[in-house]
Amino acid sequence: MNAFLTRLGGLLAVLFGTSFITFAVTYFAPGDKALSIAQARYPGEMGFDSAVLDGIRAEFHLDRPFLSQYLHWLADFVTGDFGRSYSSQSKVWDVFTGNLAETITLAFTALTLGLTAAFLLAGLAVWKQGSLLDRFAILLASVGAAIPSFWLSILLIMLFAAHLGWLPAYGTGTVANLVLPAVTLAFWVMSSQTRLLRSFLLEAYAQPFVETLRLRGVSEREIFFSHVLRHAMPPALTMIGLDLAGLIEGAVVVEIIFARSGLGSLLAGSVLARDLPVVVFLVMFFALTYVLINTLIDLLQIVMDPRQRAAERAEA
Amino acid sequence: MILTGTKMRLPAKPSATLWALMAVVLVVIAAFLSTPYDPTKADFLNRLAPPSPQHWFGTDHLGRDIATRVLYGSFWSLGLSLCVVSIGAVIGTIVGLIAAQRGRWADMLLMRVTDSFFAFPELIAAVTIAGLFGPSTMNLVLALIVVSWMKFARLVRSLAVAVVQQDYVLQARLNGLPAHLVLWRHILPNVLPGVFVLWTNSWSRTILAISGLSFLGFGVQPPNAEWGAMLLDGKAYLHTAPHIMIFPGLAVLIAVLIINLTGDRLRDRLADEF
Repeated sequence: MNAFLTRLGGLLAVLFGTSFITFAVTYFAPGDKALSIAQARYPGEMGFDSAVLDGIRAEFHLDRPFLSQYLHWLADFVTGDFGRSYSSQSKVWDVFTGNLAETITLAFTALTLGLTAAFLLAGLAVWKQGSLLDRFAILLASVGAAIPSFWLSILLIMLFAAHLGWLPAYGTGTVANLVLPAVTLAFWVMSSQTRLLRSFLLEAYAQPFVETLRLRGVSEREIFFSHVLRHAMPPALTMIGLDLAGLIEGAVVVEIIFARSGLGSLLAGSVLARDLPVVVFLVMFFALTYVLINTLIDLLQIVMDPRQRAAERAEA
Repeated sequence: MILTGTKMRLPAKPSATLWALMAVVLVVIAAFLSTPYDPTKADFLNRLAPPSPQHWFGTDHLGRDIATRVLYGSFWSLGLSLCVVSIGAVIGTIVGLIAAQRGRWADMLLMRVTDSFFAFPELIAAVTIAGLFGPSTMNLVLALIVVSWMKFARLVRSLAVAVVQQDYVLQARLNGLPAHLVLWRHILPNVLPGVFVLWTNSWSRTILAISGLSFLGFGVQPPNAEWGAMLLDGKAYLHTAPHIMIFPGLAVLIAVLIINLTGDRLRDRLADEF
């Protein structure tokens, strides 16, 4: 319980800092915000009266000092009022939920594919340690970590869409549209996890309890699945948690390249259109997700690892 | 075991990766000196030519020699990322050292600030900053520095906290050595090896970030021959001239791979020393 409370305190402090940084970046970004709002509200018109702009400034509290604007925005944000998009005039929350499903589908498909591949590869590499298969797994992981995901997407598009014509290159909606983006992302997940998993598994095999189990006549299969794998899980989970940020980033890049609708495309479009309410919300959402997931994994580790549980109890 | 005099020794026998690195650098320098083409001058009679003895990697949609552009691109990608990572490393190291040495509320405050910056996924923060402040090389560099220093701060703090408690540091302080000299002479040398490993690691990540952001249009702008910007240029000719899309990407892959492998070797070697 104590561990939970200290983490909650730290979490709140971090979220406060995060919100401040996010707001400051949009506040100090160049360009007249009132003008962006006016242009979005009255499309087609070029010049605006200073009276109109002043009206907008008063409406959106843009005439107040920085700190007042920040607190105003924070109060709205905390109470669930995320404002309206400048460009579409619809609620930011609606714009967000309209794009969320696509990104989650992509990220989850990629994570599942990538982790499955990573576990298989790492398991095989450890099983036949030092063999050609082991070396191949390491090579694949090294190349995979170095290959830019945007370039991999292009190569996949060139091969499967342009050359072979098996899959559509761009767009959203069907399962066929999901394949290439998901494979691109999954390749990244696989390459970043395989090496780590391999070393965690090897480290687990080096533990003295493995020898004891063998002497007791426990089968290799049982040693792997119920002891070694379990020993390697807590560090592996941490690394997977750290990778989630990369997964979100990767999804953003991949969505833009494959012209998929989703949060990434939404972010890029909103940034370029200076649709600040949407930008601020999305950046806060990504940061929140990342922080929350890592806190959860932190706590999950304490639950999973008896030694950490004991350490926490000793501290308290 | 951490000792005051721990020095980074050059490997007695350079490893294979080191030889590969030097070979690549030599080839690049030789190519720079011998290429007859200009990286940004258009040659419309020679558009989209496939690889040939005159143009090893072919030419792009403006008839520019891709091999030459890839070479000049190494200046953008490697050079810019080197600046970003080095500045980030210096800022992070300073923050980490101060946090470790001051302790208490200064440590608390600095680490909370670090955590707050850490909460933003790098590329998303960079896209937002570079996009809102206007896509340009300068803004890209600034955005990447903003998102790159935290790892160094965390690492340096965690390493330095252990060093600060060593007896010789206490002795130095008792002898009346000013705080900044304690940091400089006794603490910094002990955290540098770790910083160096993270530095190579971040360097390769930053190369990926710079080319990725430039490819998305948030970074180095065409006609500059940055690898990501070259790929962005060639995207429209994906079907008709696929060779445009191959070589810049391959350059990123090779650069990142070499830096990663060198970093791995370095980490193993340093792990042996401690």
